[in-house]
Amino acid sequence: MGKTTINIDYSICGESGKIDPRECTKCLKVCDPAVFIMHETIGMEDKQEDPYDPQDWRITPIWGSLCNRCFKCVDACPEHAINVKW
Amino acid sequence: MCQWCLKHGAGKKWYMNAKNYQADQISSEEDMVNYLEEQWMNFETVFIRKIMGFSSKNLGYKMQMPLIGKVLRWKAENMIHSEKDGRNPQRADGHFGQVIPLEDGKAILSELAAEPILCNYCMCRWMQRGEKEAVCLNFGALSGVLEKMPRFMPKERTNPIDREEAIEILEQNNKKGYIGSVWFQPVPYINAICSCESPECGGLTLRNNFDLKAVYKAEYIIDLDQDKCQGCKQCVAMCQFSAIRYIPSMDRVIIDYDKCFGCGVCRHACNNDALKLIPREEYPGFDGEY
Ligand code: SF4
Ligand code: SF4
Ligand code: SF4
Ligand code: SF4
Ligand code: SF4
Repeated sequence: MGKTTINIDYSICGESGKIDPRECTKCLKVCDPAVFIMHETIGMEDKQEDPYDPQDWRITPIWGSLCNRCFKCVDACPEHAINVKW
Repeated sequence: MCQWCLKHGAGKKWYMNAKNYQADQISSEEDMVNYLEEQWMNFETVFIRKIMGFSSKNLGYKMQMPLIGKVLRWKAENMIHSEKDGRNPQRADGHFGQVIPLEDGKAILSELAAEPILCNYCMCRWMQRGEKEAVCLNFGALSGVLEKMPRFMPKERTNPIDREEAIEILEQNNKKGYIGSVWFQPVPYINAICSCESPECGGLTLRNNFDLKAVYKAEYIIDLDQDKCQGCKQCVAMCQFSAIRYIPSMDRVIIDYDKCFGCGVCRHACNNDALKLIPREEYPGFDGEY
């Protein structure tokens, strides 16, 4: 299988989008091989009111090579923020 | 016994050496707390951080690259097992673990684990699935650090638990089929027993998909008594490593010993006493295969 590219539109879901991924988590749950990881956004550390409780989060499709191209994440995303191609 | 037992076990298994549970016997308590605080404040970003200009994003593809792939693997292994001064907590340098059966987990919790013991949300299930499940048992200096971070602390259980309670939690999780594991962070300080799921567990993901030794197989391996097996298949669903398969023509299961991590959870499903764990070194073909 060639290389799969998975992208998330952070202007929709992420620290500057209207969706806080912690409230949705649909893509995390539907993906059988668990390709996605939810994490505090790097570079926002100084902006946190409480450094122990960061509020800016996004999702990164981290294990791209494990993707089995099922498109379940694309279908599950209520905001059509995910794109999978190869 | 594995290389870490030889190095940090004082003649025993590494996780049976009481010294490894005492932060102040390893470095200053303050250094340890600083490391752990920095590590856990940033834990979900561990795979996003760059090593030599590369993050773990698409690690599978990067490892396939000629030369660069080899160098990356070498660098990643060194990072995971690092005992050097100046380890980077944001990359969780020196953080790795080993699968343990319930019996060893109980032995650790009943005396070796340093109090206070906390039961908190599993970080891996949170970052990989957005699920909060309180299955992790943390001890000593790590407990003090986690207490401050609301995302890891279940609201109904913010206080330390006693040893009996910790053992009960581990036992319940093990019977559910969760894999018991014990963790250095950073090596040789031991401060956590986890009840993992695959592919949610970050350590098992690195091990199973990229062959990085972030988690070692247990000091044990499963042994099937073929005569006792009644072919009920109950054990098959328990094994998270696909090491057990049912063979209709013989009406019994077979074991893929290469896949067996020695977690022992399949035993909970067997009513016929057909599955038991034996020390890895007693199985000639798999002695030393951690
Ligand atoms: S296409 Fe399927 S396997 Fe690939 S990331 Fe989406 S849900 Fe996961
Ligand atoms: S499914 Fe879409 S909106 Fe929901 S967390 Fe994933 S990327 Fe964000
Ligand atoms: S190592 Fe296991 S139990 Fe611990 S945080 Fe990860 S999956 Fe959860
Ligand atoms: S076969 Fe091995 S890996 Fe599978 S559940 Fe049993 S002990 Fe664990
Ligand atoms: S649970 Fe026991 S009896 Fe049933 S298939 Fe497995 S080993 Fe055989």
